[in-house]
Amino acid sequence: MEVTLFIHAADDAFRILENAKVQAVGLLDTATRLTSETRWMEEKKVQGILKGAQATRSGFQNFVATFVMLMGFWALLSGKFDTFHLSLGVICSVIVAYLSHDLLFANVRVGDGRVIAQRFIRYIPWLLYEIVTANFYVAYLALSPKMPIDPQIIRFKTKLESDISWVTLANSITLTPGTITIDIADREFMVHALDRKVAGDLDTGEMEDRVAHIFMEADHIYIQDVLDVSRIFAELKRGM
Amino acid sequence: MIASSDDIIIKTIARIFVPFIQLYALYVIMHGHYSPGGGFQGGVILGASMALLLITHGYDEVKRRLPEGVVMLLGSVGVLIYAGIGLTCLLLGGNYLDYSQLSVILHVDPAHARSLGILGVELGVGFTVMAIMYSIFFDISTGGILPGDEKRNEELENNG
Repeated sequence: MEVTLFIHAADDAFRILENAKVQAVGLLDTATRLTSETRWMEEKKVQGILKGAQATRSGFQNFVATFVMLMGFWALLSGKFDTFHLSLGVICSVIVAYLSHDLLFANVRVGDGRVIAQRFIRYIPWLLYEIVTANFYVAYLALSPKMPIDPQIIRFKTKLESDISWVTLANSITLTPGTITIDIADREFMVHALDRKVAGDLDTGEMEDRVAHIFMEADHIYIQDVLDVSRIFAELKRGM
Repeated sequence: MIASSDDIIIKTIARIFVPFIQLYALYVIMHGHYSPGGGFQGGVILGASMALLLITHGYDEVKRRLPEGVVMLLGSVGVLIYAGIGLTCLLLGGNYLDYSQLSVILHVDPAHARSLGILGVELGVGFTVMAIMYSIFFDISTGGILPGDEKRNEELENNG
């Protein structure tokens, strides 16, 4: 009697275990499927963003973009909007765009132009603020009787990738009183700083990060990180 | 021979500014009869933009855009336009460069014909000045020795 009871109990236990195993396998399968699906979806999204950021435009697109910018510049200069002068403007813009359509957009990592323009405009107030504060600091250095300057040349490797962002950073550094960009060679900036504090401010790399942000050069890493981790975990949580 | 500049800042700024300088030069030429400026000034600005490109991007880059032959052709065409408009006025019974005579050909009133005639002359002057400016700068910077023309360079070396 006890033996049959025991066997029944063992059978029950076995069935329960089997069920649990099936459920566990099902859960794991769902988890894997969800992960791969979301990964695939997010990867496509990231690829789309990257393609927008890295594809170089064709010659004709460059030509049209240059033409539009030059035509706007012409309208600004001329200020005469009768047919004759506008057609002169169109002819001149076509000639110049044909001569130099590969100059304006040479080796630019073409991102979303509007985003870059917006970010650039938002960068200007910050730069102005930096310039004003640095002005006061340099005035303090010059006016204090001891004149506590400590001129030095600092070098740092930059993480920026395109020539336009190098130039933006170099000119921002030069515009800020107390620091002057001497040379960019081999992705290495050579900067003259008036004093240890100014050099330290530059070394924090905030300006570099902001310039990288303008030209969408840090975005792909950031987007990849966020999409890879957080979204997939959220999806997994919902699935389970 | 002028090689491409090593300075990234100068190169990039020149790259961005050259199209706008060229358009500004054409604006100065085209609006010569309304505002200060005209063929000579515009032509100099245009030549200066090519010189800027030459000292930042090197000879090869400029030659690809505007070969020597085309520059000399532009210079000659400019003179031809100027002399042509003048002689046309002469043939139509007026004085040399008497633009109001052009109204017969252009089918507009004499005042308008004057404006268009001046524009044509300015265009010719602009072309010529640009070509000559550019070629003077180019000749001085290379010492008259054309890069890529080995045979002639050897001859010059042997003679000199």
